[in-house]
Amino acid sequence: MGASSYISSGLIEAYISGLAAPQELQELETAIVQYPEVASAVENCRLGMEHYIMLHSVPPPPVVKQNLIRIIADEEAGRLNRIETEETQIIEHNPVRKVFVSSSWRWAAVAASLLLLGSVLLNYIYFTKESEYKARYNTLLTTNNSLTSEENSYRSRLEQIKHSLDIVRNPSMKTVKMPGTKPFPTAMATVYWNQTSKEVFLLPNNLPTPAPDKQYQLWAIVDGKPVDMGVFSLTSNAEELLQKMKSIDNAQMFAITLENKGGSPVPTMEQMYVAGKAS
Amino acid sequence: MESAFTYTESELVQGLKAKDQKVFGYLYDRYSPALYGVAMKVLNEESNAGDVLQEVFLKIWRNIDRYDESKGRLFTWMLNITRNTAIDTLRSKAHKMEQKIQVLGDDVHLYTTNLTVHPSVDHLGLSKVLEKLTKEQRVIIDLAYYKGCTQEEISKVLEIPLGTVKTRMRNAIIQLRNLLKIS
Repeated sequence: MGASSYISSGLIEAYISGLAAPQELQELETAIVQYPEVASAVENCRLGMEHYIMLHSVPPPPVVKQNLIRIIADEEAGRLNRIETEETQIIEHNPVRKVFVSSSWRWAAVAASLLLLGSVLLNYIYFTKESEYKARYNTLLTTNNSLTSEENSYRSRLEQIKHSLDIVRNPSMKTVKMPGTKPFPTAMATVYWNQTSKEVFLLPNNLPTPAPDKQYQLWAIVDGKPVDMGVFSLTSNAEELLQKMKSIDNAQMFAITLENKGGSPVPTMEQMYVAGKAS
Repeated sequence: MESAFTYTESELVQGLKAKDQKVFGYLYDRYSPALYGVAMKVLNEESNAGDVLQEVFLKIWRNIDRYDESKGRLFTWMLNITRNTAIDTLRSKAHKMEQKIQVLGDDVHLYTTNLTVHPSVDHLGLSKVLEKLTKEQRVIIDLAYYKGCTQEEISKVLEIPLGTVKTRMRNAIIQLRNLLKIS
């Protein structure tokens, strides 16, 4: 078939309008390559058909473009990520199966990670602060407790002192000063002796702290004989507080010796610290 | 969003092959009405036509490397993709001949209303051309191009001998080209 017969056969129009059967299609495509005039006839016919098609143009709904722009942007981001991943894999010589994640998911993942990180950070900050506050609270609580106990101890001491003062103030109280003996000239103690109730109180004004296994013992000298009045310990504020000793009806003298812990039946005369006359 | 400048066809192709999204936007703005017009003519339905248009542009974007400039113009390539995609959709929806004809039957009567419903880019041009074409000429072009009917199917539908289908098509297209030259 020559070029002109192709042109007049209607095959070109069938081809252009999509009507041509597969074998006709092949035949014409061969002719297009073979005859330039067939090729130009096909192109002219096609231009006419395309013109007609263009006349049917309809503006599409805007949502189609919006969708496309989004899909393509996502695809591109994904493609670039994959290229990056591939490059990394080449460097590492360690082929790992790629997992395609769309960019919106990637961003979501990044955002979620950031949120988590932020949350962890805030948690840490608040936890630290909380611990700090807890520690401070505990410190304050301890301080408060110690202040309270201190206050209590002061109060009890005050009461003790007041009590001692009451004893001393008693009009029937006899005061017996006991200065230091020759070996212990700085020592000093006082006996308060209630002449009515016969109660005896001791104030160790200045006695050296004894060895742990030793204890001071008060003696009354009655008709030349020593009578045990009891042992006593030196507390931290011993010089301020009266210590109640044994009661006695009569005594000419009082004295304090240092004895073994628990006291002795007879005083150790060399260890007499103080002594004073009662009458 | 429309670009102030224009691209030549080879610039468009290069831009698309380089995955330039700006070029894609331009391509869409310039060609989507024509391609959507094809999808609408094939499917007669806006929602499907929109889906087809989206699919078509994705195919263009993804398969631009398959486009061979030596074998034809970009617009021809895009039209072929659109026609094939739309007709595939039409067939998946209505595979049977009868349904195709049914759609056609409605379509034939819809010609005038179609024009008023869809504001065409070249409204006046189209109505002028359509006026001058006989109903037979319009129908044979539409059946072949827009519905993808074979010569046998057209011969049955129009009740004409198989041998005259191609002749009728040739006459229709000659008439069409003459009208377009004048208008």
